[in-house]
Amino acid sequence: MTVETPHLRAKDVNVWFGERHVLRDVNLTFPANQVTALIGPSGCGKSTFLRTLNRMHELIPSAGFAGEILLDNKDIYAPEMDPTQVRLNIGMVFQKPNPFPTMSIKENVLSGLRLSGRKAKDAEELVETSLRRASIWTEVKDRLNDPALSLSGGQQQRLCIARSLAMNPEVLLMDEPCSALDPGSTRRVEETIMELSPTMTIVIVTHNMQQAQRISDQTAFFLAEDGNPGRVVEFGSTEQVFNQPIDPRTNDYVNGHFG
Amino acid sequence: MTDVRVSMDPGNRPGLARPATAPWQAKNPRRTAKVVLASVAPMLAAAAITLGFNLDPAIGLILVFLPLQIFASVWVGRNIYGKKGQADAMLVLFTIFFSAFVGVLLVSVIWSVVVQGLHAMSWQFVSQNNTYITPTTSLEFGGVGAAILGTIMIVGLTTLLTVPLGLLVAVYLTETRSPMRNTVRTLVQAMSGLPSVVAGLFIYSALIVGLHIGYGGWLGSLALLPLMLPTVARVAEEALRLVPQELRNGALALGAPAYRAFLQVTLPAAKSGLITAMILGIARVIGETAPLILTVNNANGTNVDMSQPMAALPTYIFQYVRYVYDTSVQRAWGAALMVLLLVAVLFTAARIVSGSSKKAKKPAVAKAASDKRK
Repeated sequence: MTVETPHLRAKDVNVWFGERHVLRDVNLTFPANQVTALIGPSGCGKSTFLRTLNRMHELIPSAGFAGEILLDNKDIYAPEMDPTQVRLNIGMVFQKPNPFPTMSIKENVLSGLRLSGRKAKDAEELVETSLRRASIWTEVKDRLNDPALSLSGGQQQRLCIARSLAMNPEVLLMDEPCSALDPGSTRRVEETIMELSPTMTIVIVTHNMQQAQRISDQTAFFLAEDGNPGRVVEFGSTEQVFNQPIDPRTNDYVNGHFG
Repeated sequence: MTDVRVSMDPGNRPGLARPATAPWQAKNPRRTAKVVLASVAPMLAAAAITLGFNLDPAIGLILVFLPLQIFASVWVGRNIYGKKGQADAMLVLFTIFFSAFVGVLLVSVIWSVVVQGLHAMSWQFVSQNNTYITPTTSLEFGGVGAAILGTIMIVGLTTLLTVPLGLLVAVYLTETRSPMRNTVRTLVQAMSGLPSVVAGLFIYSALIVGLHIGYGGWLGSLALLPLMLPTVARVAEEALRLVPQELRNGALALGAPAYRAFLQVTLPAAKSGLITAMILGIARVIGETAPLILTVNNANGTNVDMSQPMAALPTYIFQYVRYVYDTSVQRAWGAALMVLLLVAVLFTAARIVSGSSKKAKKPAVAKAASDKRK
């Protein structure tokens, strides 16, 4: 697969909660091994859009969906697709760190394998590489059997990233992964993202403009105006969206005039 | 003039030594004396009046002590804190008085069972069965051994049947999105209002009269099932509901099928709550008498065949409490104490099991890891 191949593509995505139309005609392309940032004010549907990308969206009661999400040109919403298979290929990290409290650090890393009914060929090695890729290995290598909740918030979040990485997904979705973290932990998570990006397609929702500029290759600006469904106002390379935005509303938002 | 220069080094400034007591810890002897006086004086005065006028203790407590104590507390509260203190003193007084009242009731129930039951208690009373024992037989002979065994077997079978069923109901109520959930929840709640004698009568009329099945321990287990189920289902539902949704989402986002996410993440996270559900369920049915009288009948000998009539602690109590003889009533008290002990033992055991498994987990995991390496 070459870098130019659109790896993940959203085509005419529309989302409803009950009767409420919350996302309208979203068309985005996520090239392989690039970081895409989704920005926009609260309630514009960017997190909702992120959840449609690995079918976590359908777990919300009353959720509705129309459109296509193409992973390697296959629609993940096609009737023959198994949502659990989709989620194996498209991992997700949540806003709040959610390590499994009954498991140790090591068990958390291996939990994805156990939860999908697989066996690791070399568990020890997988634990080490996953924790290294999430840049938390040096902090926890001497206490792998401690409970996951003994870690600090930032460490828990990186453990959750390691947990997703252990499944070796093609795409990693991150829903404001740093919003509950202090600046130091945020920096480490950002470094992790930068290190992962050559080998993985990453889509990240963030409220932090500087963060989007620091880590992303391309940026999509979502906006929901006056009770209308949210839509993508501007989509392009991060540099262009932040420095020469075409739409005046994008300009206002990235320069902090509203939102 | 003396040279008063203040050092610019904050650690070196005079007067920075930590005071021995923080402002909020300062002692105020007069205030303490007032509070002690208000706590002790009404009690002493009420005791003196009650004894002096030879009043009934209940009247002394409610009509003499309580008004005196209210007056004293309100006066001290007002004296120290002003108007606010008045209401505060009332609140504190009523909280302590009525919780003490309930506490005394509870302790006196347990106390009387223990004191009366201890007369009958001996190793032979715990281990022997009831063969050849009449209501007037001396307490040196016979005992509740068979009844303990019967209760454990009957309630054990009920638990085996009910806990999986109750857990399934709880899973249905918390983990699915079925539109029938509210109906099921209402039905389960309605079930908890089912009188136990009706549950017994149902089994009696349907199986014993209807199908001509003889009295038996397993029928007792069936009769206890609908009594235990609502408790187990409701408490288990609460336990599962307390598991944060983020954990379920975390598991599902890793590509877990719903059943694995439940078994490996939700269930372990809710474990101690689920054990509580089981214990409360057992406590609910272990003392039930009416269903057992109607379905198990009674046996004097030791019987482990659950298709035959069996002895059980509640029916043993019922059997002996009906006679006026001291020996007979004391046997009933002894059996009542055994029921209490049985619940206490079960409760402690379950707490130890659910508590120790967390601590024991670490070495077990480490061991599994080292085994794999080999």
